[in-house]
Amino acid sequence: MSQVRQAPLVAQWEFRRYFKWKDQVLGLLIFTALGAIGYAASRLATGGRDPVTIATAGIGIETPAGGRVRLMSVPADSGARAQLLNDGEAQGILTRRPDGSFDLLVEKDPRYLPELRALLAGVVLNERLAASGLSGAELQRVLSPPVLEVQFTDPERGRSSTAEKIAAGVFQGLVLLAIFTSMAYMLTGITGEKQLRVTESITVIIPPQAWIDGKMLGIGAYALATVANMVVGGVLLAFVAKLAWGFTLPAVIVRPGVMLVLIVYSILGLLLWNAFFGAFASTIDDPNTSTRTSVMFLPMIPVAMTLTVMRDPDHLSSRVLSVLPITSPSAMPVRVILSGASWPEIVASVALLIATIWFVRLLAGRIFEIGMLMYGKEPTFREMLRWASSKSDRR
Amino acid sequence: MEHIVQFDRVSKSFAGRQAVEDLSFNVRRGEVFALLGPNGAGKTTTVRMLVGVIRPDDGSITATVEGRTTDALPAASVGYLPEDRGLYRDIPVLRTLVYFARLRGLERHEAKRRALEWLERLNLLDRKDERVDALSKGNQQRVQLIAALIHQPALAILDEPFTGLDPLSQEFFLVLVSELREAGTSVILSAHQMDLVERAADRVLLMNSGREILSGSVADLHGRLDSRPLVRLTLEGGTAAGVLRDDPDVIDVVVDGANDNEAHVRLREGAAVPTFLARAVTRVGVLSISTERPRLHDIFVRAVREDDLRRPASIP
Repeated sequence: MSQVRQAPLVAQWEFRRYFKWKDQVLGLLIFTALGAIGYAASRLATGGRDPVTIATAGIGIETPAGGRVRLMSVPADSGARAQLLNDGEAQGILTRRPDGSFDLLVEKDPRYLPELRALLAGVVLNERLAASGLSGAELQRVLSPPVLEVQFTDPERGRSSTAEKIAAGVFQGLVLLAIFTSMAYMLTGITGEKQLRVTESITVIIPPQAWIDGKMLGIGAYALATVANMVVGGVLLAFVAKLAWGFTLPAVIVRPGVMLVLIVYSILGLLLWNAFFGAFASTIDDPNTSTRTSVMFLPMIPVAMTLTVMRDPDHLSSRVLSVLPITSPSAMPVRVILSGASWPEIVASVALLIATIWFVRLLAGRIFEIGMLMYGKEPTFREMLRWASSKSDRR
Repeated sequence: MEHIVQFDRVSKSFAGRQAVEDLSFNVRRGEVFALLGPNGAGKTTTVRMLVGVIRPDDGSITATVEGRTTDALPAASVGYLPEDRGLYRDIPVLRTLVYFARLRGLERHEAKRRALEWLERLNLLDRKDERVDALSKGNQQRVQLIAALIHQPALAILDEPFTGLDPLSQEFFLVLVSELREAGTSVILSAHQMDLVERAADRVLLMNSGREILSGSVADLHGRLDSRPLVRLTLEGGTAAGVLRDDPDVIDVVVDGANDNEAHVRLREGAAVPTFLARAVTRVGVLSISTERPRLHDIFVRAVREDDLRRPASIP
């Protein structure tokens, strides 16, 4: 039986080994329920706050309508004011110094401070306006910014840019989640097979390359399915929120070309990391006792490097990062969304990425071939490099 | 008889350590061939070269399956029960077997049909939907054996198939091995239970430190290693066995038994047992007489020790 037929069988097996409808549905329900509880709690927290009474002494400020901060004028006697705090009739005592600054005396952390600051800012502004002789309208005219409307040559881009940025951010987060999910299952799956001594039985039947190829595909598909399930959960949650509280789902318009770039780079990036982690996992017996688990944080590096692309997508470094195979899965989608990249650039970047995946996959196959039959001492990185560059020992 | 696999002066070393050295043997179609040796003798390396997981440094391996001769056994022709065995513990039995069969190239329906057939044959049909880890160790071993044989290989390699099994299961495996032989399947058997190997094997290859130290049929080995007759006499009480040492055909006498009345008498090579017995009964009171031949276990131990003495540097 050829490798071409064996790898999909392994992929199917790996996918079915981990993908359980029951778990997915349960996860979806828990995710939606937790989200609904969180959303409801935040609604209650923002909508149901009690009014706050602040005692003012010697300050002529009226309580504005609609706010939760209520001002109450009290005598200037400090003893009486302290009594108000003790009795709980006021949550703070506001006094004013001769230079115009304010003091707030409280018993506990004033959570209403932003609202009080805004109220006092209005008071001080009115005082200063009165002193300068300017009317409110005149001040607004002086401070108003110039009008500048941005018009894109592609009108679709104008309508979708903000939504695309949000979608791209969410998408990148989900891809990172898929990579980490995939990595976790590669590590536990492969080391588990070593611990269960399944390896010897399988390596006789199929070449190591077909085995690792199948794992890359099957576990990658499982990770994508899990992330897709979370997206479904998110959408479901939005509908629950819409029905319960009238939440409106933001309209996300992503251009088809951009969506294609996002999908292609996500899948390729996932495959690249799966090949890497497949080889790595075969060299350790137990991730719980291995001293090399810090390697698991490697996928964060290209994501961190992508931050420079977000700052200036047209800079030379951004262009380089969007073509380099390790960073391109993160950098190119960001660049395409924030600035744009020519199709030849994208095609060259994708071709380079595919070639790299192919190369890493072959190296991983060699390391996997030796690592899967080794127990005990973990090989050094130098040994792994030597394995990767050696010729296959299989007949 | 036609050979299914032939090793010709095969050597393999790892990091300067010679694992297999100048090894030649062949396995015939439809025979049970025992590959024996102490730990570290090179059996696993030999088997791994045989199944194509590793390549020899020197020498050649040729396989002849269905009239075609190749330099490696086709994966579909080999069924391998490794010593380091294991299955996916959290997967149901039937699904596991279908997966292994499909990797061997069987279509899904055929894989399922054969899996069910084997499960029925091995009394596991009612447990087909249970997870593998719900089965006893012996039953897990049966499932593993099915996974190795489900595609009807021309050569079955069974590495330590009796380990961890109760006597009844060991007998069951012995019957299965003989059934495989009758069906024309060649079997390479590697095991430490010498009494079972002796019953199952047609031919034996004994390895030590990566080399062959003895090979041939079980009967050949008995004759080749020690052709000096061994006689066991149960003596009447109070009889002194020591007088037998004066007999001209006797080399050695070992006395044991509950009352020191069992005498194991080793005669010189070529000695006639009846003549010796005729003399012996006139000198000691004898209750019973039997002749003994060395067990495969004794042959194994003696051959390895002699080899180690010849090559002290190679003792692990």
